[in-house]
Amino acid sequence: MFDSNFALHSFPKILSVAPTTIVLSIIATILGFILAVLIVIVRERNVKILAPIAALYVSFIRGTPIIVQMYVVYYGLPQLLVALKHAGLDTSTNGLPAMLIAILAYSFNASANISESIRSAYHSVDHRQYEAAVTVGMTPTRAMTRIVIPQLVANFIPNFANLFIDLIKDTAIVYNIGIVEIMAKANILSSIGFKYLETYLDALIIYIVICWIFAKLFQVGEAIDRYHTFHTQDSI
Amino acid sequence: MLLELKNLKKTFKNNHVLKGIDLAVKEGEVIAIIGPSGSGKTTMLRNINFLETADAGTMTLRQKRIDMAAPTQEQVLWTRRHMAMVFQNYNLFKNKTALENISEGLIFGQNKSKEEAETLASRALDQVDLLDKKDFYPSQLSGGQQQRIGIARATVLNPDIVLFDEPTSALDPELVGTVLRDMKRLAERGQTMIVVTHQMAFARDVADRVIFFADGQIIEQGSADDVFDHPQHERTQRFLSAIAEDY
Ligand SMILES: Nc1ncnc2c1ncn2[C@@H]1O[C@H](COP(=O)(O)OP(=O)(O)OP(=O)(O)O)[C@@H](O)[C@H]1O
Ligand SMILES: [Mg+2]
Repeated sequence: MFDSNFALHSFPKILSVAPTTIVLSIIATILGFILAVLIVIVRERNVKILAPIAALYVSFIRGTPIIVQMYVVYYGLPQLLVALKHAGLDTSTNGLPAMLIAILAYSFNASANISESIRSAYHSVDHRQYEAAVTVGMTPTRAMTRIVIPQLVANFIPNFANLFIDLIKDTAIVYNIGIVEIMAKANILSSIGFKYLETYLDALIIYIVICWIFAKLFQVGEAIDRYHTFHTQDSI
Repeated sequence: MLLELKNLKKTFKNNHVLKGIDLAVKEGEVIAIIGPSGSGKTTMLRNINFLETADAGTMTLRQKRIDMAAPTQEQVLWTRRHMAMVFQNYNLFKNKTALENISEGLIFGQNKSKEEAETLASRALDQVDLLDKKDFYPSQLSGGQQQRIGIARATVLNPDIVLFDEPTSALDPELVGTVLRDMKRLAERGQTMIVVTHQMAFARDVADRVIFFADGQIIEQGSADDVFDHPQHERTQRFLSAIAEDY
């Protein structure tokens, strides 16, 4: 039978580790975003050698499951550090915190998805506006910052919101490398109490609420940005 | 001469689009360029303000000589700040109001103060009878209104030359008149203009010189009467009679 007492009792315990999920998601998104901007610049400017590497990197990450990527970083990074140590670099190999590994793995994953999203937002800005901007005497940089980028950002935000929420949900597998976040806590409490539905329902509710809150935040952000960019609520 | 082009050449892959254009433009002159589709008219305008880079050619603007195949960044910026362009599809900034579309170039291209830029932009909007639309965004304006703002955006910069690339081609027929009227006013104020157009009546009425352009070359040029009524070249005659059938 469903033990509502157990569910109620477990809820605050699971909720108490929700910050781990949120912090991991936010940091990975920020780092991923920075890397994504670099990827976009390299690819859009068609930088020699780097552009094809970036393209390969993106399709590689988008073509493989995140859990595999996480294990590759989890087992690969320490070995890389050992190799670097043998090569004479001063790296500490033991005690790489799992959180650091998760942040790295999810940053790589986010960077690929975000870079594609930025690129599509960029391509949906009519390039002829850029040409018009330089013909009125703006420098190429000014034309980008005044005309292209504000429209790019407005196109990008809705997509970015989706990516961020997907990432929150994707972090539900990091218990595999020993991080105690929402899912891990639910697992632990279930195995102690031998009650499963209760704790996973708790986790479900917590995920729904977190995702809903962030979706709302992004909606408000998007509305504000649209108002500042186009002064309208409707689409471009 | 205000502007002189010598031997302007441009190739896209194996497509020789401009085959050595020579063109000299006097201060205050209004030049209409006519010619068949694909003959390189747009490409020529785009090379003049370096939206494309030529394969060969020199440009002399206000006594400054520029190698069109290898302009420096300063030369590109300098040239653009002495010219302005009006596009077939208006290309207004979608994230800016009508007024901002016009003031943007003054502030960020010519380093004018915001106040001065807004005063000049308001006056330019008034000249195209659209001051009441100053806070509208491009998406809220008709094609004709957008194009007149495009013209105000170009002329407010007080450019030596305004380049027009088929400014009325994308417009509904009933909107063409208002745009042509604004262009005529501009010509009467002495603005130097190079206008690529299919509006033969405008060319006849306003242009000091009509140039017939085909296959990347200037085939024939002269006064509107010369070119329209006494075309010397068989290619021009064919083009004009084909057009006459269309209209
Ligand atoms: N960016 C480009 N890349 C490759 N080819 C181009 C490019 N721009 C123009 N062309 C080619 O150059 C030729 C001339 O084009 P252009 O647009 O200058 O003609 P046009 O005289 O303006 O024609 P229209 O009256 O239809 O506007 C065409 O064959 C066109 O396909
Ligand atoms: Mg054209």
